[in-house]
Amino acid sequence: MRRQALLLAAAAALAAVAFSGDRFWLQFLGKAMIGCILAIGLDLLVGFTGMVSLAHSAFFGLAAYALALLTNRLGLVNPLVTLPACIAFAAAAALVIGWLSLRATGVYFIMVTLAFTQMLYYLFNDSPALGGSDGLYVQARPVDSRVAAYVVIWLALIAVYLVLSRVLRAPYGRVLEGIRGNEQRMRSLGYPTRRYKLVAFVIAGATAGVAGYLDATLYGFVNPAQLGWRQSGLILVTVLLGGKGTLYGPAFGALLLAFIEHYGEKVTEHWNALIAALVIAVVLFLPRGLAGLLQGRPRG
Amino acid sequence: MGEALIETDGLTRRFGALAAVNGVSLAFETGRVHAVIGPNGAGKSTFLNLLSGELRATSGRVLLRGEDVTRASPDRLSRLGVGRAYQTANLFPEISSGDCVWLAAQSRLPSSMLFFRPAERYPQVGVRAARALEACGLSQRRSAIAGQLSYGEQRQLEIAMVLATDPSLLLLDEPLAGLGHDEALRIVALMREVAKGRTVILVEHDMDAVFSISDTVTVLVDGRVLVTGAPDEIRNSAAVRDAYLGGEVA
Repeated sequence: MRRQALLLAAAAALAAVAFSGDRFWLQFLGKAMIGCILAIGLDLLVGFTGMVSLAHSAFFGLAAYALALLTNRLGLVNPLVTLPACIAFAAAAALVIGWLSLRATGVYFIMVTLAFTQMLYYLFNDSPALGGSDGLYVQARPVDSRVAAYVVIWLALIAVYLVLSRVLRAPYGRVLEGIRGNEQRMRSLGYPTRRYKLVAFVIAGATAGVAGYLDATLYGFVNPAQLGWRQSGLILVTVLLGGKGTLYGPAFGALLLAFIEHYGEKVTEHWNALIAALVIAVVLFLPRGLAGLLQGRPRG
Repeated sequence: MGEALIETDGLTRRFGALAAVNGVSLAFETGRVHAVIGPNGAGKSTFLNLLSGELRATSGRVLLRGEDVTRASPDRLSRLGVGRAYQTANLFPEISSGDCVWLAAQSRLPSSMLFFRPAERYPQVGVRAARALEACGLSQRRSAIAGQLSYGEQRQLEIAMVLATDPSLLLLDEPLAGLGHDEALRIVALMREVAKGRTVILVEHDMDAVFSISDTVTVLVDGRVLVTGAPDEIRNSAAVRDAYLGGEVA
């Protein structure tokens, strides 16, 4: 109950900001909500399935680049065309990368996703046709007004949260939690587990694609650093900070990190150290992350 | 001889120079309880792992209802009706025993790639899970976390999970190991119950239990079949006593 009230309050507060029309807050919270979408999507893998992927930023970046290339090269701007196209592109990339990566498990899986991410990073970084290390401008943004972009991001966050919650309560979600608990036993019970994991990887990739598309729309700009593994590492930290396996925890983690980054920067240029200290404190004292503060006992 | 549900033909598994299972040809008749006994290291668990697809055979074949399933994966074999219960409880320790059995029962849906309707609104799964819990005497314990059940209850849950997949062939790996007398009696009664209408391959060290529930007994020594026969023949065989039972007493 407390959790639902908090979620509703947070959603309402974020919606209310749209009416303020304040330039800074629209940009700042728009960005923060994109971080929420990324964290929620990765939580599906890390928290619910027990797969640690460092490729999340790759799908984010691919969708952002896809938008830049579609608008700049083909003149496609209409979000009804470009949004599905960019999500489909990210999902297709996740299908290929996931299909190959899921031949490995555990730490090897992590390393393979890292390798793919770095491969893509260098591909974009070193290709002048793809903007090189400078990145690309999105010459015509699908959503032009700042308020409209903010509203679209808000809607996307709510939609991603509701869809994933729903999926996790369905038989498919139970299978994912079974895989996290004991994958070998799931196979012996008749589940072809790799197929289920691949579908989760593609769903997560698609949500990262949504985030990437929105980011390129909001900033009108995309660069290779967004695609690199450091970005993936940061999303992973967000998930752990917020509390993996809860969906809403990582979303709050993303909001918290955005605020720390913003205000920390004003206090000290070493604000990253603040985040590091916070992460250490949470891991040591709140193993279930911020979400642990809201829960009575571990979820079943 | 009745019809064989599953047969092995020269089944062999090597680990380096060691042939853990060495040219085993056995037929397991439909509806019978067939025990596989033997001293430690005889290859019994390896044999079960070959039947359940968790290990690949080095050579030889496994035939299920006449179909070659030697290279089939564990999940495919499960769907073909091969259910495996493990020696050390192999559960989902963090969820309730009811949810463990639910997962097992849900595996009999044609596919679990179902994304929208909440899981609890698949009543056929709930019924199947409840029946398996009931059969194993765990209905009262369905909300207990699996990892916190007693040792004996974990064995019951282990069997309940396999039952919920409605297997036609049940592979039981030392279901009595480590249990106290009373718990063992309860599991033996449960085994008798689940054996009805099913084919069971039982690996077990407790000879009283083996001789009392089995229709056929095979003695495995050093990865090879020493002898196969009715429980009485095995009990009275001098060769078996030398190779195995004698050693057990001494």
